[in-house]
Amino acid sequence: MSGLAWGALYGLAAGLVIAVAALIGVWGERKVAGRIQMRIGPQELGPFGLLQTLADTLKLVLKEDITPAAADVRIFRIAPLIVFAPIAMSFVIIPYASGFAPLDTSVGILFFMAVPAISVIGVLLAGWSSRNTYATIGGLRAAAQMISYELPRTLSILPFVLLAGSMRPLDIMDEWRWWWIPLTFIAFVVYFISSIAEVNRGPFDLPEAESELVAGYFADYSGIRWAIFMMAEYGGMVAAALFGAVFWFGGYLHLPGAFGVIMLIAMATLLAIGMIWVKWTFPRMRPDQLMGTAWKVLTPMALVQLVIIGVVIPWL
Amino acid sequence: MSLESVIFAVLGIVAVSGGIVTVFARDVSRMAMGLGAFLVAVAGFFVYWGATFLGIVQLFVYIGGVLVLMIFAIMLVHRSPDGSPTIESRHDVAAIAVAGGLFFMVVTALRGVVPDSVDQGITSGPAELNEAFLGPMLTHFEMGGVLLLAVLVAVVVILGGDER
Repeated sequence: MSGLAWGALYGLAAGLVIAVAALIGVWGERKVAGRIQMRIGPQELGPFGLLQTLADTLKLVLKEDITPAAADVRIFRIAPLIVFAPIAMSFVIIPYASGFAPLDTSVGILFFMAVPAISVIGVLLAGWSSRNTYATIGGLRAAAQMISYELPRTLSILPFVLLAGSMRPLDIMDEWRWWWIPLTFIAFVVYFISSIAEVNRGPFDLPEAESELVAGYFADYSGIRWAIFMMAEYGGMVAAALFGAVFWFGGYLHLPGAFGVIMLIAMATLLAIGMIWVKWTFPRMRPDQLMGTAWKVLTPMALVQLVIIGVVIPWL
Repeated sequence: MSLESVIFAVLGIVAVSGGIVTVFARDVSRMAMGLGAFLVAVAGFFVYWGATFLGIVQLFVYIGGVLVLMIFAIMLVHRSPDGSPTIESRHDVAAIAVAGGLFFMVVTALRGVVPDSVDQGITSGPAELNEAFLGPMLTHFEMGGVLLLAVLVAVVVILGGDER
């Protein structure tokens, strides 16, 4: 039973990490957004306003959990969990330190791409079960967007599979060399943009566009279920930043133990700040621009990157 | 009961109940959820028998692709205002008999093939698949590709037929 116990422990740890990361993420988002808009952001509660999100969370947990009368109750209630659980699962394959990944599997890379794809279903079901036009439009937009951007995102990771000859994240990290950074730069651009689109963040936030759709697929949610959607969004952002930091920037850089973990967290934080920066800098895209970017720009870019790697490999 | 058999039992229960929901639910979105549970359980079975690659591909293609497209289509369908229709069939008994017979056939046919435990499982990680597909099975692999290409061309011909 030790396997199951370890699994439960990892699950608990991952849940805590995501919750804390989401808290810090929301705080960071408000701070960065404040600075970009020449404001200060939260500052009253705790040092630098750090406790503001904690207070907001308490408020959300204590709020009434409203289910619309017309909603399909069971699906409405379960949808946030279908969105959140796959995102939480995607954290297990990330190599956090030299020789350590909670789930060390030979299909790690595919796992990271395939498992979060399940959350699309949760988004669709949330939009559908609300029985609300805005929510349905948001759900449809989200599904189209997430499926389109999965393709360039998956293609952008293939260079590492080619370079290392393995899909096991720890093998790739053993093979990792510093000159992979310039070699895979195009793939990084593709990955960064499509990751932002994959977690429905601005400028790709059409599914939850506030000025058009109120909040899109989670317009009818309140209280704790709304908080779970938010946690899924920030969890997805943190997972994408960690994954990007590991493969494109060497993650723990072969540093021993805790130094490596600190290195990885520092790099991931920089990437996450980059994502927040992008959100508060660019205006929301039109749907045709959104699809055009995925199919006419990012996918060809990822293919060009693959060809470059394929041509270079025999000389390495 | 070992941990393996508990996992196997849970997967089996999820698969069977997902299948039952898919067939008997009267709301299409519930059916889609049942189908989703069933497909996840099948992916779980693949992983359970050591075919991790196949399990992940099952998740990727069937959950992330096919099921999402199905739900997408369901969402575009008009929702009937007077509730869901009742399921009526004049072939209840015959259908049950045929289903039972098919079940018996499948069980007898597969009993010798499916491994009894995880220890005897099939190991088909990416490396083994790679060796097989680029080695002895290369011709089959390429033929599969040609077949899919032919199917795509056929779709273009069928759909574009009216325009000329």
